[in-house]
Amino acid sequence: MQNKSNMSVFLKGILKENPVLVLILGTCPTLATTTTVTGAFGMGIAALVVLICSNVFISLLRKIIPDNVRIPCYIVIIAGFVTIVQMIVKAFFPVIDSLLGVYLPLITVNCIILGRAEMFASKNNVVKSALDGMGMGIGFTLALCGMAFIREVFGNATFAGIEIPFLVPYKIDFLVKSPGGLLVFGMLIALVYVLTHGKAPIKREFSCAGCPSAGSCHTGSCQLKGDEQ
Amino acid sequence: MKSLIKSVITLVCVCAVMASLLAVANIITAPIIEKNNNAAANEALLQVMPEGEGFEEIDISKFELPATVAQAYKEANGGYVFRLVTTGYKSNFIIMCGINADGTVSGAICLSSNETLGKEKTFGENFVGKNSDEVDTVDIISGATKTTEAYRNAVKDALNSAIILGGGSVDIRTEEQILADNLSSALPSANGKFTKLFIVETVEGIDKIYGATNETGYVCVVGEEFIGVDNNGNVITETSAENSQNIAAQIAKIKSSTIEKLDISGYTNIHKNVISISKTASGNYVVETKGAGYGIKGDDTYHPISGEYIVVRVSMTKDGKIIDCLTVSQAETDGIGSACADEKFYGQFVGKNESNYTEVDAISGATMTTDGYKNAIKYAFDAVKIIEGGSTDAE
Repeated sequence: MQNKSNMSVFLKGILKENPVLVLILGTCPTLATTTTVTGAFGMGIAALVVLICSNVFISLLRKIIPDNVRIPCYIVIIAGFVTIVQMIVKAFFPVIDSLLGVYLPLITVNCIILGRAEMFASKNNVVKSALDGMGMGIGFTLALCGMAFIREVFGNATFAGIEIPFLVPYKIDFLVKSPGGLLVFGMLIALVYVLTHGKAPIKREFSCAGCPSAGSCHTGSCQLKGDEQ
Repeated sequence: MKSLIKSVITLVCVCAVMASLLAVANIITAPIIEKNNNAAANEALLQVMPEGEGFEEIDISKFELPATVAQAYKEANGGYVFRLVTTGYKSNFIIMCGINADGTVSGAICLSSNETLGKEKTFGENFVGKNSDEVDTVDIISGATKTTEAYRNAVKDALNSAIILGGGSVDIRTEEQILADNLSSALPSANGKFTKLFIVETVEGIDKIYGATNETGYVCVVGEEFIGVDNNGNVITETSAENSQNIAAQIAKIKSSTIEKLDISGYTNIHKNVISISKTASGNYVVETKGAGYGIKGDDTYHPISGEYIVVRVSMTKDGKIIDCLTVSQAETDGIGSACADEKFYGQFVGKNESNYTEVDAISGATMTTDGYKNAIKYAFDAVKIIEGGSTDAE
């Protein structure tokens, strides 16, 4: 991982390792805040800021923090930055604050941020961590905005609160509701899969290679069963 | 052990650093957040005072404001906004009213209510630009009397409150309070507890007589004057010699009055709604009758909901002049027909006779109650005429 170029660290978050659509992290805020483009954008930017700050901070402290208390330390750092972001949003963007509601403080427990802290920032230097945070944050924001765009434009016939007159008679209310959100979510995941893996999914042999416990399994019996099927 | 201490110290340090970062962020953002929150709270205030700015809540416990005032805000240009909680047809009728610095209403809206007709939603518009002298020119909406009257009174309270907060003084006592205060000052020994006497003798020169509940004396109302009389008939408040002599005489007359219940079973032509008739030694009559109020179909249809008549007690001279009138019991629609139990209504019959007793103001929105009441009075007139031996066209 150390030898990867800074550019690729930054770019992978946007599509190849998109936190929402590939890593499937942070699904809860994704579904909840994508009913409006404004809310999705605010959520994305708030998470982006927290991601960069916490990644940099954790990366700086990665050699100081003992292993056995690393998770509490991460949580304290993340919660601190989330609260700061929350204060700033409340002070300067009250509209976004009212749109995000409880999901803003809940960024603290957003898997993306803790996940990146644990998976990346605690093992990489400051520059790479910052780039990773930025890439992941932008990926998160883009995924949210894309989803919100579909849901708001087709579900509510508005864009960022502005009505789109010719779509009003064709509103798909379902999209604004939670099941509609899941549907759009699934479609976007499929789309990203197609974009990153090519048109047809690689037809995989049913063998030990595709089994998550292949590493610890040495009997080879699953191989046999797989072949029979 | 060493690693444990290191872990603890690291965690404490991380917490300390984050806490100080939070403190800095809080110092910067706290005033702005508070300003934003105030702006949201001010939205309702701006609705009634669109040009207002810099609203500040006033601690109203320091002032003697009308009871309806729940919250008061002072505006930078000298205006006030009041949140008033009153009772119209139903309770919890909440009104926001803004008063400009020049004492006119800048706006009034109903924030929430349980009223039935929805008249309160737009009624506030009528008050815009009115001052405390003009507020009575806003007409009550017929059929929604309770709602609109409560609204008007609330706006009056707001206007008065603005005067009080501005350093002026206004008599904010209700009519009942004024009456109670006047009575108490006329006869302090009654400890403020009075009941209006039901008068059965013709009294001259006295409008109303109140008796102390603890039987220490009476208070006679003559015009604007409240005159206290002790139990021995001595006038205790200062008044003209003429008044004092007359009052002493009248009180003595009332105290010496005796009353006897008549047996009316022999008079078959007395209307069946007449409950009882009594006669005083001086020849006056006290008649109790009942009238069918709301839901009336014939003269004696029961009240459809409560099954109760309006029971009326009337005292009159033998030639049919009403001395006093009182609603004994009623079960008319609460808030509408129940106004027939108010002295404001039944007091109108005092001094009337058979030819003009129908000329009283009807209870708004309760025509059937009013008609039932008038019928009850008519039965009383008829009954007295029958007993006196005169002719009657009673059915």
